[in-house]
Amino acid sequence: MKTRKLHNRIAVLRQERGVSRKELAEIIGVNFQTVGYLERGEYNPSLDLAFRISEYFGLPIETIFSTKPLRPLSQELYGSRDEEGG
Amino acid sequence: MDIRTSIAKRRVGVVVNYASLTLFLLLYYIGFIGHWSAVLTIGVLIFLAVATVSFIFVHIKTGLWRLAHSSREKLDERQIQVTHEALRYSYSVFAVICLLIMLFNAVTGYRGHYLFDAVLPMSLLYFAHSLPSSVIAWTEREV
Repeated sequence: MKTRKLHNRIAVLRQERGVSRKELAEIIGVNFQTVGYLERGEYNPSLDLAFRISEYFGLPIETIFSTKPLRPLSQELYGSRDEEGG
Repeated sequence: MDIRTSIAKRRVGVVVNYASLTLFLLLYYIGFIGHWSAVLTIGVLIFLAVATVSFIFVHIKTGLWRLAHSSREKLDERQIQVTHEALRYSYSVFAVICLLIMLFNAVTGYRGHYLFDAVLPMSLLYFAHSLPSSVIAWTEREV
């Protein structure tokens, strides 16, 4: 079965929090190279690993992972405000 | 200590490793069937040395040998997936090569006298053990 490419915001969120790949890898319990593969979208995490990542960043899974290319978080936030404002 | 090497260098290392092993076996069996000479002995020793050095470069220094031979508990989910895929591929390649060698041996053997001695099974054992980490060295961008 061919799997779909998952887009994610791991690299942005990690840099925003000033965490290195090695530190994030230790926290979520994987090899540091696996973090690189995840960030580049070359490896799709299991549901368990996706939950561990979302728990660490304190964000819902759908905010971090998507099957469609992700827009910057700020753009999404302002976009939703514009929609609310009419 | 693990060192990070580019995929191109690792691929060259894999080719050199198996090419030197093949040439070592070829020269060894030329001497085994015919007669030994000083040139053959030097050739055998040189290819054995090249195979050993390239093995250390491709498998030991990169940490791939440890990756391919670690238990599941020591690997993360991506590494398990990578080693599983490498083992699956290696098994099919190894089975085909063994079958071809046995077929060749059966065809060339005569009344219980066969061409090969213990060096070939020893080389095949090395091949079986090194093939999964060679597959990883060949396919993985980052190791």
